[in-house]
Parts: sequence; C-alpha cells; structure tokens
Amino acid sequence: MKLSFYPGCSLEGMAADYARSIDAVFKALDIDLVEIDDWSCCGATAAHSLSEAMSVILPARNLSAAEQMGLDIVAPCANCFNRLRFSQQMIQKKVLDIPWPVTGDLKIHDMTRFLAQPAMIKQIKKRVLKPLNGLKLVCYYGCQMVRPPRITGYTDYENPQTLDRIADAVGARVIDWSYKATCCGASIGIGRREIGNSLTKRLLDKARQAGAEAVVVSCPLCQSNLDMIQKDGLEQPVPVFYFTELIRLCFSERRDPKWFKMHFADPVPLLSKINAI
Amino acid sequence: MNTTVMDHNMSSERRPGEERKFIGDRGDYFLNRIQGETNGNVSACYQCERCTNACPVSHFMDIKPHQVIRYVQLGWREDLLRSSTIWVCLSCEMCTTYCPNEVRVAEIINHLRNIAAHSSIAPKEKQLAVFHRTFLEVLSKSGRVNEFRLMKAFYSKPHILSEKIKSGNLKEELLLGLALLKKGRLKPFSTRSKLTKDIRKAYIQSRGEIV
Amino acid sequence: MAVDLKSPVGKVIVVGGGIGGIQCALDLADTGFYVYLVEKSSTLGGTMARLDKTFPTNDCSTCMFSPKLVQVAGHENIEIMTRSRILGLKGNPGRFTATVQKRPRYINEEKCIACGQCAEKCPKKVPDPFNGSLGMRKAAFLTFPQAVPLKYAIDAEHCLYLTKGKCGICRKICPAGAVDYDQKPETLQIDAGALVISTGFEPALTASEGEFGYGRYQNVVTSLQYERMLSATGPYEGHIRRPSDGKVPHSVAWIQCVMSRDPSRNRPFCSSVCCMHAAKQAILTRTHEPDTRAAIYFMDVRAQGKGFDDYVDRARFNYGVQYLRSMISQVYLNPENENLIIETFDHHLNRKKEEEYDLVVLSTGFKPSQGFSDLAATLGLAANPYGFLTTEFDEPVSTSRPGIFVCGGIEAPKDIPETVIQAGAAAAEAAILVSEARYTETATRETVPEKPIEADPRVGVFVCHCGTNIAGVVDIENVVAAVKKLPHVVFATDFMFTCSTETQQNIVDLIKEHRLNRVVVAACSPKTHEPLFQETLKEAGLNPYLFELASIRDQCSWVHGNNPAKATQKSKELIRSSVSRAVQLEPLYDNSYAVVNKGLVIGGGLAGMTAALTIADQGFHVYLVERSDRLGGFAQNLPFTLEGHSPARLIRYLIERVNHHPNISVYLESKLDSHRGHLGAFNGSVQKNDERVDIQYGALVVATGGRPYEPKEYLYGQDDRIVTQVQFSKRLVDDPSWARRLKRIVMIQCVGSREPDFPFCSRVCCSAAVKNSIALKEMNPGAQVVVLYRDVRTFGFKELYYQKAREKGVLFFRYIPEEKPAVYDDAGQLMVDFTDRSSHRDFRVSPDLVVLSAGIRPGEGAMQIARLLKLPVAETGFFLEAHVKLRPVEFAASGIFLAGLAHSPRFMEESVTMAKSAGQQAMKILCKERMKTSAAVAEVDPEKCAACLACVRVCPFNAPFINGDGVSEILPSACMGCGICASECPAKAIQLKHSTDDQVLAKIDALLASAL
Repeated sequence: MKLSFYPGCSLEGMAADYARSIDAVFKALDIDLVEIDDWSCCGATAAHSLSEAMSVILPARNLSAAEQMGLDIVAPCANCFNRLRFSQQMIQKKVLDIPWPVTGDLKIHDMTRFLAQPAMIKQIKKRVLKPLNGLKLVCYYGCQMVRPPRITGYTDYENPQTLDRIADAVGARVIDWSYKATCCGASIGIGRREIGNSLTKRLLDKARQAGAEAVVVSCPLCQSNLDMIQKDGLEQPVPVFYFTELIRLCFSERRDPKWFKMHFADPVPLLSKINAI
Repeated sequence: MNTTVMDHNMSSERRPGEERKFIGDRGDYFLNRIQGETNGNVSACYQCERCTNACPVSHFMDIKPHQVIRYVQLGWREDLLRSSTIWVCLSCEMCTTYCPNEVRVAEIINHLRNIAAHSSIAPKEKQLAVFHRTFLEVLSKSGRVNEFRLMKAFYSKPHILSEKIKSGNLKEELLLGLALLKKGRLKPFSTRSKLTKDIRKAYIQSRGEIV
Repeated sequence: MAVDLKSPVGKVIVVGGGIGGIQCALDLADTGFYVYLVEKSSTLGGTMARLDKTFPTNDCSTCMFSPKLVQVAGHENIEIMTRSRILGLKGNPGRFTATVQKRPRYINEEKCIACGQCAEKCPKKVPDPFNGSLGMRKAAFLTFPQAVPLKYAIDAEHCLYLTKGKCGICRKICPAGAVDYDQKPETLQIDAGALVISTGFEPALTASEGEFGYGRYQNVVTSLQYERMLSATGPYEGHIRRPSDGKVPHSVAWIQCVMSRDPSRNRPFCSSVCCMHAAKQAILTRTHEPDTRAAIYFMDVRAQGKGFDDYVDRARFNYGVQYLRSMISQVYLNPENENLIIETFDHHLNRKKEEEYDLVVLSTGFKPSQGFSDLAATLGLAANPYGFLTTEFDEPVSTSRPGIFVCGGIEAPKDIPETVIQAGAAAAEAAILVSEARYTETATRETVPEKPIEADPRVGVFVCHCGTNIAGVVDIENVVAAVKKLPHVVFATDFMFTCSTETQQNIVDLIKEHRLNRVVVAACSPKTHEPLFQETLKEAGLNPYLFELASIRDQCSWVHGNNPAKATQKSKELIRSSVSRAVQLEPLYDNSYAVVNKGLVIGGGLAGMTAALTIADQGFHVYLVERSDRLGGFAQNLPFTLEGHSPARLIRYLIERVNHHPNISVYLESKLDSHRGHLGAFNGSVQKNDERVDIQYGALVVATGGRPYEPKEYLYGQDDRIVTQVQFSKRLVDDPSWARRLKRIVMIQCVGSREPDFPFCSRVCCSAAVKNSIALKEMNPGAQVVVLYRDVRTFGFKELYYQKAREKGVLFFRYIPEEKPAVYDDAGQLMVDFTDRSSHRDFRVSPDLVVLSAGIRPGEGAMQIARLLKLPVAETGFFLEAHVKLRPVEFAASGIFLAGLAHSPRFMEESVTMAKSAGQQAMKILCKERMKTSAAVAEVDPEKCAACLACVRVCPFNAPFINGDGVSEILPSACMGCGICASECPAKAIQLKHSTDDQVLAKIDALLASAL
C-alpha cells in the first residue's frame, strides 16, 4: 500500500520522535509513506486567524502536490489534518482562486483513523510481540482531530474511538474518560501561557482522577503542551505518548529506554513497572 | 474548574451606571456582511448560552460567545473588534459543534479576528496578534515553520520582551526554551520548502483580502 | 341479498391502544358504533401506562388510567386486537376493508388465566423494555399488572424454546394448557367505515446519539426511564435509586430540550410536554427524598397549559426546585463516584462552574412510534418532515386521506388532556362519517326474564381453584366441606377455573337445578370478575344483585402463600362472611328514563358553532344560544394565523352552515335564563328581549368563549402608537402601505398574563408575536422588529415559526418581571428602555409602534352561565372541568360539557378540536333512547331527614338537593353510589342500596363470629 504523507512542521522539530515512530510503524506494517514533494506549512492557527484566504491557499499547495503524486494523504498532526480538510472543502466549493492546479478529490486521512480501520487493527495485533499489559491510560484526542464534525467527519466527536481501539489493540488498559476532546489550550500557549496552562493542568488532573498513568495522543501540539507542563517534574508524572510510540514499542524486540529521551515526563519508570522495557 | 475570578471588566453581568445601548439602524449592514462572509447562521441564535458554557476560555473573554452573536446581530462592530474575545478564542470549535441552531460561532469569531487584523483597531490581546503575524512571516520566508526560528522572531518583535517582563513571565519562558533545546525538541537548523516564492506571493496577495 | 354499497359500515378501526386510542374507542363505542382497537404490542396502555404521576395535579397515572382500561376491556362493542398491525387498506370512506396481521402471542388468550406461573418459572431473563431496560423481565411476561388483555405473552426473540427448541417449561407447568408454541401469524380482513390513527410517540433519544453521555454513563437516564424509577411498579419499586450503585441520589439534574428545539439534529420543533414533566419529576423527587437537590437546566419554561405556571411556581418556591436558565453542551463523569459533572458559566463571578450531580435526567423529546412511517406509507398519509401526521387548520383531526382521522402524540407531541380532547374529536369525525349506520353493528344482549324467587334464601357457593393460584395454598376440599355446613347454603362445589366459559354454563344449570336464589363465588377479586358472574346470574334468570364474591385469591392465597393452614381457615371465614351478606341481599332493578335527543350549545363563536355542527351532523337537533346579535365570536377579528390560514373565512363558512342546517335552531341576542333537570332530561328557557322560549335538551355544551384583555399598562389607550397584537395584525392587512413605512417596532409579551392578579399564561401570545413579526418582515424586510419576552412559548411545531422569525432578523430579548420595559414619550418620540437578561445590558430603542401581546380573559357571558348552571369557576374566571387529565371537556355535573376559550386560552384549531370532542361527549347521551340509572344508589328516608344539608355538602356529584317538601332528595340519575352521604348523614336517613347497613353489618358480624 502506498500513501502520500504530509508530516507537517512539528515533525521536523518538537515532534521528531513522533516522526521516527511513524516511520517505524509504517515500515513494520509494510505501508509505503511517500512524503509529499516539497510540502509546505498548512498555516496552522495563525493563517486562519489573520487571513482566511491563506488558510485555504497554504494547504492547497500540498493537496496539489499530492494530487500530482496521485496518492491519498495521511496526516499525523491533528491540526494539519483539520486545515487540509478545511482547505479541501473550500476548494470543492470553489470559493476562491487557487494559484496551483488542484481539485480536492484525494482522500485525507487522519493517521489515527487510518490505523484504526478494522483491517489495520488486525495487522497491528498480528505484529504485537509483547502487549503493553497493565498500562493504564486515557486517550486524548484534542479539538482539531474531531471538531468541527462537518470538517473532520467524526460523528462521535464527544466520545471518539480511534485511539481507544489502537491502544486496546496493543494491549493497554484503556480507561474511558469524559475529557477526550476537551481543548488543551495549545494554540494560545505562547501568547497567553497562563490560559493554556490552566487548561492543560486541568486535563492532567482529570486523567489522573480517572486512574490513568499515561495519556496517549496523536497531535504534536497536544503532546508538547501536556508534556512540557511537566518539565519541572510532578509528584505523579503522567507520560504523554504518541500512539505510534506505543505501537512501535510493541512491535520491536529491542526496547531502548533512550527512545523516550525527548519526553519531559519520563515514561521509562512506568514502562519498566509493567515490564515493557 | 473554579478558576480564580478574573478581571471584573470581563464579567458579563450588568455594570452599574453603564450607558444604555441604543439599538439603531446600523445593525443590518454589519450583520449581513458577517452572515454573507461566514454563512454562519447568525440570526438563528436563541441565546441559550450553550456556546458560552461549552467554551473553555469564556472567563478570559470580555464579550462572551453568545453575546458575540447578539452583538453581530446588532451590528456592534467596534465593540467586537476591540474585544479580547476574538484573540483569546482557541478555535477549539466547541461552540460551533454544540450549537443547536448551527450558528458557526467559532467561525464568526475567527472572521472577526480577520477583520480586526486588517483594521486600524489595535488588538486587545497584543501578544496573541503579534504571535500569529510572526508565524505567517516565518512561514512566508521559508515555507515551513521551524519552532526555534518562530520563537526567535517572536521575541525580537517590539514590545514582546517588555510585555513578558511586565507580566513576570520572561524567566519562565526562557527556561522553557532552554529545556526544549536540551531535550532536542527545538532545532536551530531547519528544512525549508523550495517554492517559497509562490507562498510569499500568495501571502502578499492575501494581505488585506479576506475570504 | 343485495348489498347497499353506498351505506356506510357502522364500525371503526382505531389504531393504537394508548390513552388516545382507548378514549377514542370508548367515545365511539358509547355512541353506537363497533370498534376494533388495534394495538401492536401485547397490551393496551401506551406511554401513559408507564407514567408514575401526572402534572399539574400529581394524580397517580395508573389510578386514573386503570378504570379506563377496565372499561375498554369489558366493553361489548370494543374488540381489542393486540400484537396486531394494519398491512393494507382498500375501499373508500364509509366502506373500508383493512388487512390486519396478528402476531402470535404463543399463549392462548382464551385459556390464559393470568396466574403468572409461566413467567415465574421461565428461566430466560431479558431487559424489560417497559421499564426502559432498567430492570429485567422473563421471556414469558405480562407487560404490567393492569395489562389489557390480562394475558401473558411469550417473547419470541428471547424464548429458549422458540429460538433454540430447548426448555418448554412454561408449556409443562401452565395449569390452563394455554401455552402454544405453534401459533402462527394470522391475517384478517375487517370492514370499517372509518379509521382513527392514534399510534403515539416514543422517546427520540437513542444511546447511539451520544447526547449528554446517554448510553455511556450509567447514571444518565431519559425522562421516561426516570418515570419508571419513580413508579411503585417500576424497577426500584418506587424508591429513587441510581442505576450504577442503587444508592439514593443526593442531587438530580434535568436537562431540557434534549432532541427538541435542536435544528442541528433535524429536530427543530418543541416536544411540548417536557418542561412540565420535568417540573413534576423534580417535585416528586423532592417529595420522595426531601434531602435530594433537584435542578433543572432549561432555556424557556413552557408552561402554556391551564394551571401550569402555578405548578412551576410551586416547584420552585414550595419544593425548592432550582431552575437554571442555561443550556449545556456535555455531561462529564467523575470517575471516582460515578457522579456527573455539569459545567456552566457563572456570569456573576465570571468563572466556569462545575456542579456535580448523582443522577442526570434527560428530558427527551419525542418521535413517532417505531414502525409508524411504514403504516403512514401503507395508508398513504401525509406526514411532516419529522414523521408526524399533518392536518389542516379547519379540520384538525383529519389526515390527508378522507375517512382516516388522527389523535394524540402522532399528530404532534402533546400531553394527556390534549390527547383525550383530540380523541373525542377524532371519534366525532368518524361518527359523522358513519352516523347513518349507528347501532347497526353494535351488540345488544338478549335478556332472560327473571324468575320469581323463593322467600327463603337458598345460597349456592362455588369455590375456585384458579389453577393452583388458590388451590396451591388453600385446601379447597376442606373449605367446600366447611361451606356446606353454613346456614342457608343448599349447594357448594369447586371448579378449576370458575371464570371459564364452560364453567359459566355449568353454573347456570346448577342455579336452575338447585333453585338457588343467592350465589357466592369464592375466587379472585370482585374488581375484575363481579360483572362477569352477574351476567351469569342474569342468564339463569336471577337478579344480578343477588351475587357476592369472596376474594380468597387476592386477599388470601396470594398474600398468605407461606401459611396454607391459616389461609385455609381465612378462606372459610371470608366465605362465611360473604354468605351472611348474600342472605341479606335483595333484588334491585335498574331504572331508566327517556332521553331528550336534543342538544343545547351556549355560545355562537368558533367553539359553539363547531360543537353544534358536531351534534347536528350526526342527525340530532341542537339549540344554539348566542348573547350577541351575530354568530362568529372573537375569532372573526383575526385576519390570519401563524400557519397562514384565514380564521375569518372559516368563521364565514361555519356561520353559513349553522344558519342553513336543518338540525340547528339559532337564538341570537338571547341567553339561557333557567335550567333544571338532569342528564338526558333538562328543561330550560331561552330569553330573547321580552320573549321566552322553553326548551328541552338532553345535554349541554358551554362555549362562552373569551375576550382580549384591555391593557392598562404601557400607555395603552393614551397614545395611538401603542396597539395590541390583534389591532396590529388587522392593520397589517388593511393598510399594507402603512406597514411598509414602519421602520422599527417593539413587541412586549405577557401584558396582562403571568401577573400576580392573573397568574395565567395566555398560551397564544408568543405565537401571535411571531406570526405578526414574520408578516411584517415579509412585507417590509427592512423593518426592525424587537420582541421583549419572558419565555418564548412556541410549543410543538410552532417552534418552527419562532426559528423562521429569528432567521428573518426579528430580535428577541428576554426581560424579567422585576425589570419591566419602560415605554414613554420623549419629546414626541416613542421610547422603550429595557434590560436584556442574556447580554446583561440595558438597551434603548425608539420605535414607531409598540405592540402589546395582551392576554385572554373569559367571555362576558361566562359568569351568568356559571351561576345559572352552578358550574365551578377558577379565580381567573375560566371554568373548571371535571378532571384536568381525563375529563377535560366535561363538568363534574353530568350532562354538561365544556369547549373553547371558556376552558382556558387556546389556539383556534385547539378550540375546534375541543368543540368536536365536547359535541361527541354530548352525543353519548343524545344518541340513547333511554338512560339507565344504577339501582345501587343512595335513598333518603324523608321521615328521618332533618334537612341538615350534610349530604348536599359532601356529595361530589351534586346529587342531593332539598326538594319541595323541605327534605333531601337524591336523584338516582345523578347518584354514583359512592355512599359518602350515607355514612355522613347524622340522622341515618340515607341508605345506599346494595350496601345497606344490614348487609354490611351481617358481613362484619359473620367475619368476627369466630373471634367472639
């Protein structure tokens, strides 16, 4: 299977570990991810905040490139996924001129939903060498992957299941909680840190209250936001995993603790506790 | 979550001695413009406050989401463009998603932010406005946004450092930056996309243009 | 024999066995038509059977409903077809043929004795749908204890024998041999002149919607589930427990408008009843558990019915129910205690507020019952986009297909009284269609002449085993032996099932053979079986009042199952007691008198004319008395309705019909000035100027109408820029160019309504404001329309117009009564100052016009009629009906009915419906030749009466009066035989026949004999 891959800017910086785990997982699953040729930034929150035109045009460039490759797109970052989908809808509505040839006909998958398809879950389960039994976690989807439903296509936007299914497939104990899609405040982080932090802290409290020892996410912004706040160490750290990190961990024989060195909330003690490392 | 009581100017309660607002003619022009540009179902609102209750940051807003819709209906452009609301909004889409009347609250607020960005009105939340602008500048230069470059550019903007100092957050921000560097999460060197010329052109074209 | 294809069939099919269908069936069967009552489930009952109590009286739903169920179950002209559905319909109005499919019950209805052993022994438990799946039932089941027919059924989806061929226990143990796994679906063809659809509604929320965590969190339940939780027959036996851990909730929150008023879920309409049932549930919660907090999250309180605002106020102020005007997005779970968290925004403190509740109830809106769209398609009925049947303004209970009528929740979500009213109206339409065929299909029983009885009592006693229900506990043989020794008992025996058809014939023979003149059956309960055995006596030529039932099942074997010896002893004592009373029984004869087959209607407005036509169109004469000099009433002042219909045109049409109808005599400028007599035979006189006409009538409909409130507030009458909605709508039509010049108008709601001196909602004013706003916006889109309201009460599908008005740019601002808008003149410019409670801002607007939504007051003639007919009137001046829920168009005084605004403010189509219903209730009397009176009535001994008025005061039916001789007299026709007067009378001058002192004392003495 071959798909075009839109990594997004974060995967070259803040979320380099996400990128590495994706690479490993897709290789193991024998799916060819072809990076979109000369991709550029989707514009993120800034573009639509200041110029709605830019928020259509910027992703359109990437859609155009993918169309030339003729491959459906998979995007790991929730924000990128959301912006690509939004742009695609606007292109289809033909509301403005796009400087690149683009039809908006390709499928755009968010990576979790792609891997949560029944056939993929089967593939994942088949390759699990050592399931993560005893890992109590909550799945956190954030906003951009699920809302607004008319863009994302998630009808179960309040209680999405894609990450839950994947975490379940790798043997973790998935705890249901009510804050799967409650905003973590990442987009306001740099300008008004205290607002963002208040939201993020609350989420971690709620996760702990639910009995979770870890959070699994798919969005680089959510991950860095939930993780960074733990930089000075918490009494009860809550490691924040990319879902692909968990899959990768189950797929590999060699389980190198150094893998998680980019994390602030160190997952190694927790993973050793459950004999996963 | 019982967060601390914020600045009382942000309370949506009636302020004693506040002047009566006059309902005049201007309303329809602005309402029709916003409705036309966002297709946001502005008039359908029945003020149930689901949006304000759903909003994670309504306590940081001076005009609450349901009031935004009312203000748009009444054509109160200035009040809206001068508000903190349009900058504080996270675009988390809770309001739009849960609105029973399919009012696109988040899209309307975002659109107001667009209008404000292209107006002469100084943004109430300066840091947030500058951050977005900086992001687009970095983007238009290299096609991709490297977080290190973004931070650098942001702090080089006039007043940002002083604002951070004023709010007592500077040390915290710097420590965070250092920690990220140490963890390898900020990368001083970055890739860029080749066709930045195109992007720059689009960027320049779209300044002053709002869909 | 030649068949006349034109003459209609005197039979009607009523589809749906809820309260609507039952009421409709009774209203038809009691007026000379044969009814097939077709119900898809195993029992009649519908939604009402699942309710605990009802608003606004907190009456027990089952207690009100059970008598109706018994009535319909025992009606000789109603054929109940459960587990049945209509598969096709051929023919034309008046002569339809329906194909009905009856699904197997797997239990033979004829044989089942409802002993319950099948369910007890059935090994298969399934979630009980009747209890919203909160409890379990067996695969062999009885839906609820009062089910009609009282027959068990087997759930084919879950029965182990039917699904896997295993088990078969119920067949083995059934004492009546009623279990039949081989039953097959049956298809029948039935003829009927008309159909009535009353298939009702069901909750619109399903777990898959994910709304507010329903289906995800255990302690989030729907309002109907909560109703079962409150009910004594529910899964928690009436104790409020939360599903997750069975603990008493310390706090309960209701969330209103779930799946209602929600265009985003294609449910843009209001479900009409949820505001009130939430208030009711909150009150009951506070009553059951005074320490439990009750909070209701809502947008508008829709208390637009009679007495509803008062009820909501009681909930708030007397019961401490919190009303929180705030809609929430999502319910969160506290994983530590399974409580639920509701997040709102606190405007006062400018912060987000989390509140925890032990239980959350979702006030779920309604949708047509499952499978209804198939039926609508089969019958070719037009439905609105949400699946409800559509009707016309002037024919509010007629579907799109002639000959098929509708009532209840399938027309629009509605409460019980509105359903009962519509049921009567639908019955009226069907009756009019087939009125020629009245009495052609109804059964009349042949009566066996009574034989003279011997002076000495000869008592026969029949002891029933009731399968093993009695015999399993009580030693029957022992009992029969003891009974044989009792004085006057000449014969005693036992039967396996005394109620079976075969045994009935046996008893008839035994009565004749042993010349029995008193019969005692020792069996189940007189409640269900006395009428049956009385019929058996009649067939044997014995007076039915010579029967006595000893309840040795309900009052003995069922409650003393653990003590067979004492139960046997008690059975003997109960029978001895019954035999003693039986000896004292006397034959009594029901009386009857001739009915005057003419009706009287007071009031010539929309309701009065409609009621008159309902009677006249069924071939009976009506006097129509109107105070003013013309027919038409207030409705002719209204140029258009919310839905765009023309009331004036309807009124003109009705006047035309009334004036030319051969069965209607109209008296204008007239009033009823005397009224005497009783149900079926009233005398009165009509005064017109100096003339007086004496009239006789069997029934009477009061339709004295309403009038608009004349505002004293907001400069009305002092400034001609202040008008009422009625004046405004007239001018919109009369002077379009004026309307097009208007720049800005302000409407003020609740003028003269919901005020301390008139604490009533006038029901129609919100819709009137919406209607006129839309009309103005359509003529003049640039006009600014500001509506100042307290709660927008556009209930049902009227909500769609509220939505339309908003979309057209009408601005709705909410004010509170403590901060009324101020209307004043500022140097010639009209000004309105107000405070908006949503944005918490003070506003000023200078309109060209202020339109006041003035409320409705009772009609001018109402008080005179109330005094003349001694009818009860509420403080507001509207008449009080006999019973708020089930007798909304009747007065407690028999033979007098109520319709239209005289009852309470209502919409025109609602008045039309109510008038048809009142007309149909009157028809129940008028269509009879003679009226029977029960013989078991109270009788005054004039020698002993001291005219102390005790009986007059205590009688709930106004039966006793002081006659010309200065003593009390009780009209047998008005007496209901309750006996209150007999027990109150200080002079012991009153005896209740069939429960005389001698009879009751004999029974008690015999019961105590062994103790003494």
